[in-house]
Amino acid sequence: MNHKELIASMATKMNAPKSVVESLLETTITTCKELLAEEKTIGFQGFGNFEVRKKEERLSVHPATQIRTLIPPKLVVNFKQSSILKDKLKDLPHHE
Amino acid sequence: MNSKEKISSQEIVDLVASKASVSKRAAEEFLKMMITTIEDALLAGESVKVKGFGTFKLQWNEPRKSVNVQTGEDIIIEGYYKVGFVPDSSLKDLVNEPFAHLEPVTLDDDGEPKIAAASESEEEIPEPLRIFTEQAFEIKNILSEINALSGDSSDDDGDVNDQDDFHYEIDTFEVDEDDEESESIDEVVEETVKPEVVETKEDEPEIVEEPKVTIVEAVAEESKIVTEEVEPLTEIKEDAVEEEITVQETPIKTDSSALESDSSAFLENVKPIKKKKHWFVPVIILVLVGIVAALYFVYPPVNEFGNETYTTVKDNVSKWLTPENKNLDEIEAVVIPKDTTEIDSVAIEPVVDSLQILFDTPRVYPEFIASATITKGSRLAWLSKKYYGLSDFWVYIYEANRDRFEDPDKIPEGSLIHIPKLDPRLIDASNPRCVENAKKLHDLYVKR
Repeated sequence: MNHKELIASMATKMNAPKSVVESLLETTITTCKELLAEEKTIGFQGFGNFEVRKKEERLSVHPATQIRTLIPPKLVVNFKQSSILKDKLKDLPHHE
Repeated sequence: MNSKEKISSQEIVDLVASKASVSKRAAEEFLKMMITTIEDALLAGESVKVKGFGTFKLQWNEPRKSVNVQTGEDIIIEGYYKVGFVPDSSLKDLVNEPFAHLEPVTLDDDGEPKIAAASESEEEIPEPLRIFTEQAFEIKNILSEINALSGDSSDDDGDVNDQDDFHYEIDTFEVDEDDEESESIDEVVEETVKPEVVETKEDEPEIVEEPKVTIVEAVAEESKIVTEEVEPLTEIKEDAVEEEITVQETPIKTDSSALESDSSAFLENVKPIKKKKHWFVPVIILVLVGIVAALYFVYPPVNEFGNETYTTVKDNVSKWLTPENKNLDEIEAVVIPKDTTEIDSVAIEPVVDSLQILFDTPRVYPEFIASATITKGSRLAWLSKKYYGLSDFWVYIYEANRDRFEDPDKIPEGSLIHIPKLDPRLIDASNPRCVENAKKLHDLYVKR
């Protein structure tokens, strides 16, 4: 499901025009991004938490060439599902 | 940083409502709908891509064995799905902004950053436009290296050997240039070039003098026959020079493979001079006007430099003439490269490009495009990345604020930093010379 399909699906469920849904979604996303940029954790009830984590700098060694490279620290967004969502997913059969 | 601070669903609803100027109820309903829609899609086994944010996807965790901590029994954790989230690249960059100016650094065996080493040794072969100044810098670097060597080593064997290597390199280098000059000078009989040709010729006797002496000394250890020739030669330098050099040329090259590779590196660097001279002819017409301006700017420093070297050469030569000097090698080592720099700078003169002038003229910062406050965790490099697009250009910000901050690494929190308006040619991130110049300044400021 891509962005457009998501908007379309939500629009039909909410009985709202796509344009409204789209602008609301846009606002939500920018709000979330701003909060994450301030390194804040966002919790969605029943869904999960978005959190910024710091990856410390590390030394990587290229296995073939033995070249050592210092990887600088970085901040990444991490999503952790809530236990409610986890329970919902438990019932899902494994098919692959 | 408030990493602990957690924004709840309700707060998000409030924020979205005020931003989109809709009622809180509508916003809440929308958010709930968004989450259920995403959940439903995920439960249906689909992945959900939200533009500008990221992708939600189900990940299957395989069942695995574990141990019950309390009873010590083996238990099996069932396989399960979890929702994975891969942030969009725009979100990634946004979040990582405080560290965006950091780049991976390749370390060599000593744990020293390679970048520093690279700037001292031979660099990549550049376009004709850049070659002359680059060479000048390289030779200056080598000069300073040799200076450093002669500074801390008087009779140390290892170092002396190193220096011998240098001699060889320089010898071959000089020999080649001499040949070239004699050929190419004839070719380039452009009116504009004439004065320079004369100048180079004036310098030539000097140049030729020194290499011969070094050759003599370097080779002294290996071929005793030559040494005999050498002693008298010191006084009849000029005449015997050319034969000497040709004689030396072969032994040097067959000496060792390491040396050969060294000298080939040098030869490679020398080659562009040839190209340069071909290229020189057509471009002269185009750049003639620029040259006049360039000459105006560049002449004074070059003249000074020339005089300086000349006096040092004189000093050293007179020292050399006094027999008590044991550090002959060192002195020669110092003298020779200086000569080469002189040749180069003389040759460069007519074609010094505007960029070099830009680098050399002391920068003044009359205008500022912005000012920023240093907060915890922010650095000049970060500001540079933000305003100039490349973190390396932080040196210019530092220069503009230097009167107030001594140490670029210790700028107190809350300080106001002015971001200077810079010549766009100076901060052209696609031009490796700009980056290189900035890195040079970086070395300069950070070392202090």
